[in-house]
Amino acid sequence: MFDLIGNLGLGFATALTPTNLALCFLGCLVGTLIGVLPGVGPIATIAMLLPLTFKVEPTGALIMLAGIYYGAQYGGSTTAILINVPGEATAVVTALDGHAMARQGHAGIALGIAALGSFFAGTVATLVIAAIGAPLTRLALLFGPAEYFGLMVLGLGLAIVLARGSVLKAVIMVLSGLLLSTIGTDLETGQERLTLGIAELSDGIDFAVLAMGVFGIAEILRNLENPETRDVVRGAIGRLLPSAADLRKSFGPIVRATGLGSVLGILPGNGAVLAPFASYTLEKKLARDPSRFGKGAIEGVAGPEAANNAGAQTAFIPLLTLGIPPNAVMALMVGAMTIHGIIPGPQVMTKNPTLFWGMIASMWIGNLMLLVINLPLIGLWVRLLKVPYRLMFTVILLFCCIGIYSINNNPWDVYFTAFFGLAGYMLIKFGLEPAPMLLGFVLGRLMEEKLRQALALSEGSFMTFVERPVSAVLLVIALAIMVIAVLPAVRKGREEAFRE
Amino acid sequence: MREAGAGRPRSWTALLARQDFLGGMVGIAGSAFVFWQAADLPIGTMGGMGPGMLPKTLAVALAVLSALLVVDGVAEGGPVLERWTIRGPLFVLGAVVVFGLAVRPLGLVVAGPLAIVISALASSEVRWKETILVGVVVTAFCIGLFKFALGLPIPLAPWLIGY
Repeated sequence: MFDLIGNLGLGFATALTPTNLALCFLGCLVGTLIGVLPGVGPIATIAMLLPLTFKVEPTGALIMLAGIYYGAQYGGSTTAILINVPGEATAVVTALDGHAMARQGHAGIALGIAALGSFFAGTVATLVIAAIGAPLTRLALLFGPAEYFGLMVLGLGLAIVLARGSVLKAVIMVLSGLLLSTIGTDLETGQERLTLGIAELSDGIDFAVLAMGVFGIAEILRNLENPETRDVVRGAIGRLLPSAADLRKSFGPIVRATGLGSVLGILPGNGAVLAPFASYTLEKKLARDPSRFGKGAIEGVAGPEAANNAGAQTAFIPLLTLGIPPNAVMALMVGAMTIHGIIPGPQVMTKNPTLFWGMIASMWIGNLMLLVINLPLIGLWVRLLKVPYRLMFTVILLFCCIGIYSINNNPWDVYFTAFFGLAGYMLIKFGLEPAPMLLGFVLGRLMEEKLRQALALSEGSFMTFVERPVSAVLLVIALAIMVIAVLPAVRKGREEAFRE
Repeated sequence: MREAGAGRPRSWTALLARQDFLGGMVGIAGSAFVFWQAADLPIGTMGGMGPGMLPKTLAVALAVLSALLVVDGVAEGGPVLERWTIRGPLFVLGAVVVFGLAVRPLGLVVAGPLAIVISALASSEVRWKETILVGVVVTAFCIGLFKFALGLPIPLAPWLIGY
């Protein structure tokens, strides 16, 4: 307990220096600015803004990136509420009741409760990270290659189960991602693999390039095809602060959603995406009058927003303690850390305590800042949303190009991004969801490394994964959830859950 | 969100308009290509895996699952492909590639407006004056932000001012 307070104290001392505070503020501001653009979710936002952090020292850079992340999340909710265009999957739920509230003239209250709910969830999630970060790190130090491999298999298993569409398609996407990750120089022999003779591929594909192509560019192509159905809320945004009655109604959902989101966010394999859906379903079940949902129920905004933010934040836990990114956003964080010479994993906390605790403290500060800067700035975001898409997408595209070029100062990255944009467009057409592919790609290289290490230690015997209890348990859980997902009864329920 | 399947396709040409069939075929072709590219990489043994082990195993697994998807598509039909367009991908991806080609030799001063103007052609409503104005203003903003405020080493106009 004293440890926790001492550590958080160190964190706040780091995060509250004027420079870091300014970086946190700047990150939140530009993150919201880009995240508010329709069709630009947190992944594309971070990939685009990564170069902003290059000149800053590592701790400040990560604090700024975390700010960009929360800003992008919050910007996405603003877009969902005001114009019913969710920037990413998790904001879909917010759009349901949030936009309904906006049409009834309560846009301000929807935005206000989203911000308050997110802030509450963020505060709790920060404490959760601080509390279990240290014990988990100690646990992680005991992990050998077999355990790491088992954990990553579990992560991919979860990603498959959580993907929309058929399990078969999700497995195909995971395998494609793993294959893409093998491109480049082999870790052990130094031999070039699948580089097609292109020298720029010998270091492998940059994750930001893949993510930007599949999520940024392909999303623009999709939006261009669907004629604009934006209805920007006209007229007044109305009061921002929810009334006492609104707060009373939202308090329960926010607390429940925070718990739900915090737990789901820790799961490897992007459990956080499930959080808003789960919270919405739960609140609808608990409500005395479920028919209000979809027609502007404030609980339907408060719950999912809190769940989303809690999950988004506890998703840092697997990254900071184990060095395993649980989703695409965290993979971009890995990229950013590596650029600054930090290898994510259990050693970060012991070797670099100011960075670790400073980042955690800045998460809370970032959440507070979002509350302070966003509510007064909502008028500005509304005006931004009224810019027609035919102008907006050209600007988004240019930002994407500059961002990607600046990561390595290499035009080839720009070409590869165009290629993956085309690939992402095809995936949309084939009804294949890209998220599992990205996770496969993210974990691929580390998985191969650990698999080879484990098998080298056991002299080629796969029994090592079964003989070691932790890896055996992890693999059994992975197998079990996959089997359950393809069982006919569960399959039907799963389809229904995603349809909602 | 997904369109419901339109029943079993009657002919081969009808099959070509189905998501699962076509997606699976692309998957098979892709894994065959990967396997061919990885052909020379040694597999090694289980205890000492070679660089070819994973790519080849994954390619085979991907091909098998893609084949399952094709079989699924033939047997059940599945969702119909949405309409493809050429205009959007052509100009959007074209703009990205042109930016990549232009950024080093010509610099951001040229590559920026070029990317904006080319990508604007992807939309069905093009307004030239507006587009060019946006191109110039946004490029100027980007130069201020990325080059001067952040000091990123992106070339401005090497042919004119040398950097």
